[in-house]
Amino acid sequence: MSVIAVYNIKGGVGKTATAVNLSYLSAGGGDKTLLCDLDPQGSSTFYFRVRPAKKFNISKLLKGGKAVDGNIRGTDYPGLDLLPADFSFRNMDIALDDLKKSRHRISKVLKPLRQEYDHIFLDCPPNITLLSENIFHAADYILVPLIPTTLSRLALRQLFRFLDEIGQKRSKVLIFFSMVEKRKKMHWEMMRLLIKKPRVLPTVIPFLADIEKMGLYRQPVTAAFPRSLAATAYSGLWAEIEKRLGRR
Amino acid sequence: MPEPKEKMWLLPESAAVNALVDDIGQDFTVEVEPQPAFTVTWFDTFDWRLYRRRQVLLRRNKDSWHLLLRPAGEEIVSLRGKGLAGCSFSSDFPAGRLRTVLAPILGVRRLLPLVTLDSSGVLIRFLNRDEKVVAFLFLQEQRVAGADVVFRTVKLQGIRGYDKEFKTVSRFIRRHGIVDPVPPFHALEEGVRLTGRRPLDYSSAFSITLKPEMSARQATLAIFRRLLEAMQQNTPGIIDDLDSEFLHDFRVALRRTRSGLALIRRVLPPEITETFKKEFAGLGKVTGAARDLDVYLLYEKDYKSRLPASLQGGVEAFFADIRARREIARKELVRSLRSPEYRAMISRWHDYLYGDDSGGASENSELPIKDLAGKIILRSYRRILKDGRAIDPSSSDEKMHRLRIQCKKLRYSLEFFASLFPPDDIRIVIGQLKKLQNNLGAFNDLSVQQEMLHQYLARLRPGSGRNQQLASAIGGLLTSLHHEQQRVREAFFPKFRRFSRSENTELYKKLFG
Repeated sequence: MSVIAVYNIKGGVGKTATAVNLSYLSAGGGDKTLLCDLDPQGSSTFYFRVRPAKKFNISKLLKGGKAVDGNIRGTDYPGLDLLPADFSFRNMDIALDDLKKSRHRISKVLKPLRQEYDHIFLDCPPNITLLSENIFHAADYILVPLIPTTLSRLALRQLFRFLDEIGQKRSKVLIFFSMVEKRKKMHWEMMRLLIKKPRVLPTVIPFLADIEKMGLYRQPVTAAFPRSLAATAYSGLWAEIEKRLGRR
Repeated sequence: MPEPKEKMWLLPESAAVNALVDDIGQDFTVEVEPQPAFTVTWFDTFDWRLYRRRQVLLRRNKDSWHLLLRPAGEEIVSLRGKGLAGCSFSSDFPAGRLRTVLAPILGVRRLLPLVTLDSSGVLIRFLNRDEKVVAFLFLQEQRVAGADVVFRTVKLQGIRGYDKEFKTVSRFIRRHGIVDPVPPFHALEEGVRLTGRRPLDYSSAFSITLKPEMSARQATLAIFRRLLEAMQQNTPGIIDDLDSEFLHDFRVALRRTRSGLALIRRVLPPEITETFKKEFAGLGKVTGAARDLDVYLLYEKDYKSRLPASLQGGVEAFFADIRARREIARKELVRSLRSPEYRAMISRWHDYLYGDDSGGASENSELPIKDLAGKIILRSYRRILKDGRAIDPSSSDEKMHRLRIQCKKLRYSLEFFASLFPPDDIRIVIGQLKKLQNNLGAFNDLSVQQEMLHQYLARLRPGSGRNQQLASAIGGLLTSLHHEQQRVREAFFPKFRRFSRSENTELYKKLFG
């Protein structure tokens, strides 16, 4: 059983596409999988065409137990469930701050779900906040999609510093290159600098129109076009990650 | 944890599926997708070892295996891959979770195909206004291979969080006259019945329900009928050499029959008792040789673990010989079981057991069975006390062996008549006896093995390198087995003291006196 948080301080790096496709592949491999959409924008929720219940909101989420259980929705795919996001999630930090043990709240909410699922994916909002700290406590792995640019490298350094600060192991982090554009020289150079690092996965997800278009057809690209370049890339990435999960 | 809901109904001939789907289409968007046809075969051992544990093992399209839980059908473990179609014994499966689960349950038993269904169907998805799937409907047609029977079913599968939609679709289904719910394994279980079998129709454990007021004759005939049935059920499996348990169970039924003839005295006419005692003793001999060799083959793993690597070659040569001898003994046995003499003997026994009730009584025939049963059990028990007390550390193996046979007789009579006495007491009495039997069984097992190895050694001609290797291996085994037997013999005395203590004797008197 593992909790995998898909996270980056920066937005627009392909987090949701990663969470949606990897959770689909995980379920397709026979593992019972839950995707938690923690991003108030609710992109994962949108991709799976799920509408959260009107009464579902941040306090229900943080309450956990039955309040969460009753709001989990089956997706169109066997073995894959989704905990939808609600717009109220934008106030997550304020809500967390009001609670006791505010750093471990998400761990507590996930605890009973760990019994039920083989893998739990967390689609996380960007920024470094109290929610991020919660997520780093709760996650067994922090999967970081990285666009190979100088700014991304900076963001990565900030992430490591933050993990050190809150006493979390850097070894939780797994990095892969996302939205890579072959024709951009900087992408190549950045990748050359980073690829040898131990926590960087060799599989690269290119910048592809099929992934961009997921918003139109509202399905994981791995489900809609299983033979596409994009689907092949995600399958390769998931195979890499599964191997790492087994190792720990 | 709310599990997704699932319901299945039998589709009546009259049901108009298209009209149903059209109706549901008023509330939902409908997507129809024909499903690829597939074949599924249900496997279990002859004695339903999986079914008894609420498990159902299916092979799908000859390339995947699925172990499911009854009655809902959750998957416990599955295995996909090429070259798996021919798996019969747990050891035929590649190392992995499926084999790990199956091995302790199947033991030495073979998986037998029970029934094959050819399935085809259509998957219908119901979508809400967001184009999100909210329920699945499977229309399935399952044809029983080799029979002209088709099961048509409708399965509605809900999706977590969409209970309201599930109810809506259910309502449409009911309105169209589809109201006959069936469990998920309906077609398989019905299909098996068409082949002449039914779940749990065989168990190696003996069980029969007698009524205390039955006459001794009625009860005795009922017991022998049950045992004859067990012999007949196992015969095809012996002839086809499916696994070693068929012959084992056959011989247990045979031994029970012989014990019954000896223990239940003066109930059947003496000429019948005498004739069939002789006939069945002969059958015991005919089946014994093959069984002994089967047993030796089961020791292969144990023997390899007893010896160092340098002697393993000898063990392999030894078992190659045993396998060859077993093949000969088996052919001999099959010839006997197919012979007109054997068939005639069995049909004479059958005719007697099912024949006219009036002919040939004996002095105890009309006694109530309960009175007679108590006497038989007490007599066996007292005999064990007497023989057991006469055993001391210097007694011969032969004496231990005789005591083991006495214990078996007591066990059989307890099992024959168990239904006449309070079940809790019978459980205690059998439990205590079992402990003693385990010790005596282990002792005898070790004697038999040593004797077999000695005989084998005596026949070996010195000279060849292979035989030298063989002899060393056997020497090593004999030493190891002898030491173990000493340990088992020492354990006998405290076990017997427990069995023969006065509380136990009092319990026997209270129950059977």
